[in-house]
Amino acid sequence: MALLEIRNLHVTVENKPILNGVNLKIEPGEIHAIMGPNGSGKSTLSYILSGREGYKITDGEVIYNGIDLLELEPDQRAREGVFLAFQYPVEIPGVVGLTFLKTALNAIRVHRGENELDAMDFLKFVREKAQSLEIDDEMLKRFVNEGFSGGEKKRMEILQMAILQPKLAILDETDSGLDIDALQVVSKGINALRDANRGMLLITHYQRLLNYVHPDKVHVLANGRIAKSGDGALAQELEEKGYAEFNAFVE
Amino acid sequence: MPDGAGRSFTFLEQAARDDLIGLGSQLKWLRELKESGASIFKERGLPNRSDEYWRYTQLNKLIEIDFQLSKESPFVGSKQLSQGVSGGLSTYRIVLVNGCLRKDLCSIENLPKGVLIAGLNAAISSVPSRLEKKLGKNIDLENMPMAALNTAFLKEGVIILVDNDIVIDKPIELISITMPNKYPTMSQPRFLIDLGENAKATLIESHIGNTEIPYFNNVVSEVTIGEGAGLDHYKLQEEGLAAVHISTIALRLQRQSLYRGFILQSGGLIGRTEASAVLDGSESDCRFDGVYLGSRNQLLDTTTSIKHVATNCKSRQVFKGVLDGSAHGVFQGKTHVTIGAQKTDGYQLSRALMLSPDAEITTKPELEIYADDVKCSHGATSGDLDADSLFYLKSRGLSPDVARRVLVEAFLNESLSEIKLNEIFEGFTNHVRGWLNSKTKQSAVG
Ligand SMILES: Nc1ncnc2c1ncn2[C@@H]1O[C@H](COP(=O)(O)OP(=O)(O)O)[C@@H](O)[C@H]1O
Ligand SMILES: [Mg+2]
Repeated sequence: MALLEIRNLHVTVENKPILNGVNLKIEPGEIHAIMGPNGSGKSTLSYILSGREGYKITDGEVIYNGIDLLELEPDQRAREGVFLAFQYPVEIPGVVGLTFLKTALNAIRVHRGENELDAMDFLKFVREKAQSLEIDDEMLKRFVNEGFSGGEKKRMEILQMAILQPKLAILDETDSGLDIDALQVVSKGINALRDANRGMLLITHYQRLLNYVHPDKVHVLANGRIAKSGDGALAQELEEKGYAEFNAFVE
Repeated sequence: MPDGAGRSFTFLEQAARDDLIGLGSQLKWLRELKESGASIFKERGLPNRSDEYWRYTQLNKLIEIDFQLSKESPFVGSKQLSQGVSGGLSTYRIVLVNGCLRKDLCSIENLPKGVLIAGLNAAISSVPSRLEKKLGKNIDLENMPMAALNTAFLKEGVIILVDNDIVIDKPIELISITMPNKYPTMSQPRFLIDLGENAKATLIESHIGNTEIPYFNNVVSEVTIGEGAGLDHYKLQEEGLAAVHISTIALRLQRQSLYRGFILQSGGLIGRTEASAVLDGSESDCRFDGVYLGSRNQLLDTTTSIKHVATNCKSRQVFKGVLDGSAHGVFQGKTHVTIGAQKTDGYQLSRALMLSPDAEITTKPELEIYADDVKCSHGATSGDLDADSLFYLKSRGLSPDVARRVLVEAFLNESLSEIKLNEIFEGFTNHVRGWLNSKTKQSAVG
């Protein structure tokens, strides 16, 4: 059974069609990259999968692990193992990062039938993961994303992914705004989570992330559809030629 | 003639009945003070819509009920005392039950030298001349009808006098508890806090209601902070569901003095705290912050008036409210900069979180500036929880209820985290959590 199957997905925002028949199938263990020009609907796709409000699904379906994903509330999806690393992580003043992470992890653990981690075990678990992402205690004690640099926010998203251990991770432009050092740290974090049971959807505008995280498949999203699919070589080709070929179709 | 005037007469009749006007009749100044309160209240009556600062807070409810001063002082145990907000800190404690001082519950032995903490009555007998100089001196009775009423009833209360250069080793805790009574009770306590030059003190005030029967507490606090002195003042207002709590805090700050007030209001059917500060000496710093938590049909009113008289002073008021049900929040904040108060730095912010479509907030900021070289600003926001933040939390597995709760706590935590004393921070935080828990229960039922 596929981990994720998107069939003929049509989405409008305020009556404006954004996705016009997306088809995509991800098997467990696979990493797919979705590339495409700005405004082509990549983030919209990520929000549809994670259940954000404000979009109208006019046709199609999304089957995740054999269940109808679109029927689930955002928090249910998260507890079922869907994770979105946001393109623009939200700053939440007043909520301490560690407290937030612990609440999230325990909500998911309880759903999986595991016991909640106590403060000590949790801290140990988080520190271990945080270290490899070069996130120190001070950063964890700050309010969620508040005043973080772009790179810090993206590292924090990957940390959350490492802690919550999703089955399906959607990473929306996790590479944008990162310098080369940060890109390597983040890539290492993503690669560490490659797993035979986990699927990933890497959304990116540029090819450079794919130099570090090698995808099994690459798709081009343009004109609200998957306009072309291929392997890693397609990403290389896009890097050289740009999206001009696809832009032509964008209204 | 407004309704209030008729009713005020009944209040005063009551006062006469209890021979309160006669209290301290040997002391001419005291008799005159009480009489002036009585006559001003008689003339003004209960505040009503035509009083600028009472437009949104109607006290008509007081007319419907025949409140009486409590004659009994019911049993109070450690359970009630622990409802205060001192978070287990060791304190000098003074306790009022139904408005009457309860010596048996106080712990004010071994006070540091130079500190006087006593009941108002005791202080009137023991140090009358010190009181004569202080009592009623900070209050503009003409413009504060409820303080005038309190003055007419002047009898019960607490006096805290701290001599020059004294730094009190422990916080002073003032607990006012209202227990059920056979008849609707009222209390009219007066608190007087006077810090001498360079003195330092912390005051923790808790107003706790243990009854759902209507009662009326009309509290007046007079606070003078001497040159170079500093007062940290925390107040919890958690009166009973049907209570009316009216509090007037009159502050006077002398040169280079510091006042930090933090107040949490969540109790009462009507809860109002009015703080009026005069910054009399240059380089003084007055902060008055707080949060209010309203649900059901509560009215919670915070009214401030900061008057900058001297140069180079700072004032700051940051208030945050969470309003649910059909609760109504009122924030009226006035910063008044007189012509001589150059280099004033005044800041004011009001933020309200509306959790229900029936909740209501009235914000009335007011800057009145007569000096030309000042920095003053104010801002006000109100609205629902941020949708993006909610989605972010839910996308991490938090249920909608938990996510909302986390955000409400966060909203309040920004204010609470300014509290310096950790135990007090914990005390207020626990109180906020208790409030959120009770709301969750309410919505689970309803
Ligand atoms: N909430 C919204 N309201 C109006 N238009 C939107 C909204 N969200 C997305 N869009 C539009 O949908 C299109 C796709 O946006 P998006 O999914 O963010 O693209 P990408 O991530 O590929 O850059 C854009 O034209 C964008 O302006
Ligand atoms: Mg995008």
